Amino acid sequence: MRLLVVEDEKKAGEYLKKGLEESGFTVDIATNGVDGLHNALEEDYALIVLDIMLPGMDGWEVLKRLRAKRDTPVLFLTAMDELEERVRGLELGADDYLVKPFAFVELLARIRTLLRRGPPRDVEHMHIGDLEIDAIRRRVRRAGQRIDLTPREFSLLQLLARRRGEVLSRSQIASYVWDMNFDSDTNVVEVAIRRLRAKIDDGHEVKLIHTVRGMGYVLDLEHEGE
Amino acid sequence: MRLSLTARLSITFVVITVACFSVVGLLLFKAVSRRVYIHDQTNIMLDARHLRRLAQELQSPADVVAHQDRLIALMLGDQANGLRVIDRGGRVLIDRVPMGYELPTQPVVPADQRIVPASIRSWKDRDGNEIRGVATAATLQNGESVTIAVARSLADRTALLARYRSDVSLSLLTGLLIAVLLSYLLVRRALRPLRCMAESASAITAQRLSKRMPLKDAPAELLALATSLNEMLARLEQGFARVWQFTVDLAHDLRTPIGNLRGANEVALNRQRSLAEYEALLGSNIEECDRVSRTIESVLFLARAESPQFALQRIALDTAQELHRIADYFEGLSSEAGVSISVAASAKVYADRDLFRRAVNNLLSNALRYTPRGETIHLQAVECEQGIEVSVDNPGPGIDPEHLDKLFDRFYRVDRSRSDSASSTGLGLSIVKSIMELHGGSVSVRSTAQLTSFTLHFPQSPST
Repeated sequence: MRLLVVEDEKKAGEYLKKGLEESGFTVDIATNGVDGLHNALEEDYALIVLDIMLPGMDGWEVLKRLRAKRDTPVLFLTAMDELEERVRGLELGADDYLVKPFAFVELLARIRTLLRRGPPRDVEHMHIGDLEIDAIRRRVRRAGQRIDLTPREFSLLQLLARRRGEVLSRSQIASYVWDMNFDSDTNVVEVAIRRLRAKIDDGHEVKLIHTVRGMGYVLDLEHEGE
Repeated sequence: MRLSLTARLSITFVVITVACFSVVGLLLFKAVSRRVYIHDQTNIMLDARHLRRLAQELQSPADVVAHQDRLIALMLGDQANGLRVIDRGGRVLIDRVPMGYELPTQPVVPADQRIVPASIRSWKDRDGNEIRGVATAATLQNGESVTIAVARSLADRTALLARYRSDVSLSLLTGLLIAVLLSYLLVRRALRPLRCMAESASAITAQRLSKRMPLKDAPAELLALATSLNEMLARLEQGFARVWQFTVDLAHDLRTPIGNLRGANEVALNRQRSLAEYEALLGSNIEECDRVSRTIESVLFLARAESPQFALQRIALDTAQELHRIADYFEGLSSEAGVSISVAASAKVYADRDLFRRAVNNLLSNALRYTPRGETIHLQAVECEQGIEVSVDNPGPGIDPEHLDKLFDRFYRVDRSRSDSASSTGLGLSIVKSIMELHGGSVSVRSTAQLTSFTLHFPQSPST
């Protein structure tokens, strides 16, 4: 899938392109608003990542002119964490926003959500290797062996399984599982993962829950760097 | 035009003085002229009655002429008085008018009618001076009738009153001058403490906020002002010191992770490393970045919380449900620390959900850090008279009283050298305080040697 990143800061553009390409997207970069709008109107992109502070034409203007012709999903990046800013962006027709500085996994998750268009389906039965998750009866088996999980542990496992292969940041996990929507300086998530891992992975050859240092956690059969 | 206080007060005093002098002068003048008028009226009336009675004892007009000296003597020899007696034929029997004014003989008070003040008439002589007088008929012993006219020139009275008036005006003017001078001097003197205060105030600048207004010589009226100014200065000085300390602490807090980042990267680049080492380094770099981000996010939260536009989304929250949720969130962490969390709550609180959770979260993570293994942290919410109290009580070593009131200051850490500053921003409790202020409530802390208790005070919800 082709994405357009409109970002004037060279370093930021470079790492966004690299990161997104490594996650399976084709990425074009525009370094100012005028080029960004031109590309967005001429080419067919699945999604546009739009910075607000841009030389030539600011992100608001780009968004306004783009919306007059096309409805490509737009995720805007803002350095200003003011409510009016965010409301303004959404009113102009943006689909989501992120406040700088953001975690890359967060950006990736938002992009995937927008591209999926709608929340992840609730799969009744999930199989990952020899791990079975029955979402209806809330039961988990590994290699045929029943594993007892607390309700929270189950929610956590379900989240990781639904987003299989996707790195989830600590704040994402805290928000989905416990509905705690702020950055906490506690290592609650770390501990919860550790306890879940003890129940799921201990005594098994193949590990399913992986830590991506500094970024978050991922559930998959195997993960690079582990 | 902006008038000085001195000018205003002086003008007020002068106006009052002039008004008083004028009224007093006018009243005195009126009283004196009234006295003189009554005195003259009475004299004229009595003279006329006397003369008539004397004349009526005389036999004939010739007798009148014969006794004219007696009659004239009654007039007391005042130059202003005049007397004329004429008989029925119009012949003048006595004519004694030293000042030579006219003495009209009409109308005449009949001989048998009493002479009263109302009978007296007033007219002007050739020079325009006022003359008062009365004419009366008198029946002599032989039955003949004569007309007696008595009058008095008021020229001397007019002159007297005019002199009196100019005397009063002159003293008024003198009084006015004295009043102007005295009030200016006195007011200036009375306002001197105010000028001193202004001078002291102008010496206070951002660099010299420790200066205070002198209270020693301030009069009672200015003492309150000077005291509140001094209190304001103390608060400003504290505020400045806090901002300064905040800036220093913030810089320090940012310097540590940046120093770590730079140092670790430099060392890593010093020689070839294994892939695992590079990965570890990058992971550690992200952790340091997270730390900076968290500090920035917290600082921004505190700044935003102070702006009046901060939008609270208050709803009625079930404290039991919320506290259980938070306890559940901390379950893993607390059981690893060997600490249990108990919840006892029944009240409803009207608050912003995310901010409520954030406040309790900060208190609980703080409590968890200081609770010894095997102990229990109590989360409670009770309704009291003032509103809802949510408390987080933890057993454990108490906090020294010297730290208690600074605990909610930004970046204040009880133990500056604590190594857990990497995980805690030192802003957690300030954020709790900000959140409570946003809700119109407050946060308090009590600490004994065995127990530390933080309490959030939420005001009564508007619906109850």
